[in-house]
Amino acid sequence: MSDRGVVRLIARREFVERIRDKGFLISTGITLLILVFLIGAGVFLGDPTGFDLGVQGEASRALGEEVADAALALDVEVTVRTLGGRAAAERAVREGEVDAALVDGEVLVRAEPPAQLVSLIRSVSARERALEALEAEGLTPDQALAALDQPDLPVTALEPVSERRREYAAVGFVGVLALYGQLFAYGYWVAAGVVEEKASRVIEVLLSTVRASQLLRGKILGIGVLGLVQLFLIGAIGFGMSQLAGTLRFPAGSAAAIGVVLFWFVLGFFFYATLFAVAGSIVPRQEDLQSTMTPLTILIVASFFIGIAANEDPSSTLAVVASLLPPSSPLVMPSRIVLGEAPLWQILLSVALSVGATLALIPVATRIYERGALKGGKVRLRQALRERGD
Amino acid sequence: MLELIGLTRRFGDIVALDDVSFSVAEGEMVGFVGPNGAGKTTAMRIALGVLRAHAGEVRWRGRPVDAAVRRRFGYMPEERGLYPKMRVLDHLLYLARLHGMDAPDASAQAARVIEVLGVADRARDRVEALSLGNQQRVQLAAALVHRPEVLVLDEPFSGLDPVGVDVLSGVLREQAAGGVPVVFSSHQLDLVERLCESVVLIDHGRIVAAGRIADLRDADPRRLVRVEVSGAPAAWYVSIPGVRLAEPLPEGAVLELADAGTRPTDVLDAARLAGEVRSFHVVRPTLMQIFRRAVGS
Repeated sequence: MSDRGVVRLIARREFVERIRDKGFLISTGITLLILVFLIGAGVFLGDPTGFDLGVQGEASRALGEEVADAALALDVEVTVRTLGGRAAAERAVREGEVDAALVDGEVLVRAEPPAQLVSLIRSVSARERALEALEAEGLTPDQALAALDQPDLPVTALEPVSERRREYAAVGFVGVLALYGQLFAYGYWVAAGVVEEKASRVIEVLLSTVRASQLLRGKILGIGVLGLVQLFLIGAIGFGMSQLAGTLRFPAGSAAAIGVVLFWFVLGFFFYATLFAVAGSIVPRQEDLQSTMTPLTILIVASFFIGIAANEDPSSTLAVVASLLPPSSPLVMPSRIVLGEAPLWQILLSVALSVGATLALIPVATRIYERGALKGGKVRLRQALRERGD
Repeated sequence: MLELIGLTRRFGDIVALDDVSFSVAEGEMVGFVGPNGAGKTTAMRIALGVLRAHAGEVRWRGRPVDAAVRRRFGYMPEERGLYPKMRVLDHLLYLARLHGMDAPDASAQAARVIEVLGVADRARDRVEALSLGNQQRVQLAAALVHRPEVLVLDEPFSGLDPVGVDVLSGVLREQAAGGVPVVFSSHQLDLVERLCESVVLIDHGRIVAAGRIADLRDADPRRLVRVEVSGAPAAWYVSIPGVRLAEPLPEGAVLELADAGTRPTDVLDAARLAGEVRSFHVVRPTLMQIFRRAVGS
């Protein structure tokens, strides 16, 4: 059987045994439920873009209609509801049936005035009264309208934040969060899987049939594919849900972002999986794993925080440097790409460094893995690297 | 023929194997015997490629053993081990595939070995749910599932109940009868004597004796008598001239007639005087006695 055939068999076992595990299925289900819930909650708890405006009397009603028209131009929906009498209007405002009520040239609100609605009403009402005043001074309605139809003052943003940009930052944040969780969980599985084979002593049966390097490659591959499938599922369901809910306005961009996250998961996973395999190789039991994983934990958590910071300020020196270097690049580069802040050369350099570092690590990790495989006790790293001819 | 030729292996300053050579013919069952730490496991691990030798080589059918050849070997390590969470049949199927079998062949074989070893009804259970005895049977199934050309078993009988011992003995005999060279290590020397025609005796990393048990016995010049006496005073035999204690028994002893002039009946007479003689045999040396003599203790 070819080397690839052996590695594929080993990878398939890792994949199949884990995907059949009840714990895995339950945790995946819970993750997806939380995702669906969060997106759903976003729809219901998001900033209201609509108001209910109560009106009392004919004049108020006309003004209300004008406000609703003006609001449409700003992408705000104002629903006008006729109320009978001041007492009814006050009650409706108090009970929150309407956000504000127009009563005899007065605006009633409960406590904190809804700023957008109130300023709309004020400006529409001011315009109406100005129009009447001009007509009273003898201008024709057309002249009065022309006098009032002045262009808005131009506003120039020196550092514009586009709506698009803000949504991409949100997508980037979710991406970094997902990558962090996924790299951690699946990296840990590699380490735990390595230890499991030692602790259960199945390793000796396996090593009488396959080489240590094949075992290691198969394990990393199988667990990595599972992580990728799960991440893809989370991405696809998240994307589909937000499409349905309409919370994302730039779906093409977020589909690309999911692709970027998946790609960097692959790069980051292989890098970290190799290190996690080393952490597993040098201890004999599951209980001892925590201590050898600590440096890796710190590395991933630190990279995660840099990734969050880079999502806010993607062009800072820290973000640029961290997005190039392998330990942090999988958690920093994706949001810089999504935000459009990473030039192509930096992306290519980062990919090359990540792949290069992983390729350089694999033989070292394999060596330590081979040395540690049949050892009952803790393996000293330096010794494992130095020892020859085992 | 499986040949181990001049195997040497050190761990730091300790020489675990020192120029160890022996061979196992096709269809032969060889017992590999020695005290703890003698080098049995190290030699077996080297034969299976789990460990590298510092000198020497392993040959099968006259050719050096490489990874492809080794894949056709069957191995049961002393440190038993299977994936605890895997289901019995899946596990065997997986190992059969790793040994290079195609899927249909692997599943037919996996089903067959669990049948033979009497664990077919546990096929769908996780390994960890099985009793230790049954786990041991599955372990043996793992060594047999790919129809190995060579069987190497490290302490296969340890931890088995008498029924398990019988099942395993039967399976090993069957394998040898089918032409497979079988080598196993064991501390149960009576079992080795019953099962094996040949033995290899190892001590402190060196082979101290090897060959057919019958030949080793013939080469042992000692004349031994085994006497069971009840009611005799302790060490009743010391007064018999030309007799040495070979092995004490709860009520009696195995005695060596060290002087040519001493006859078995001299012992019998002394025993009669000492107490009530329950049994009296002229015996041949046991494997244990051969081993003791070989290591000079």
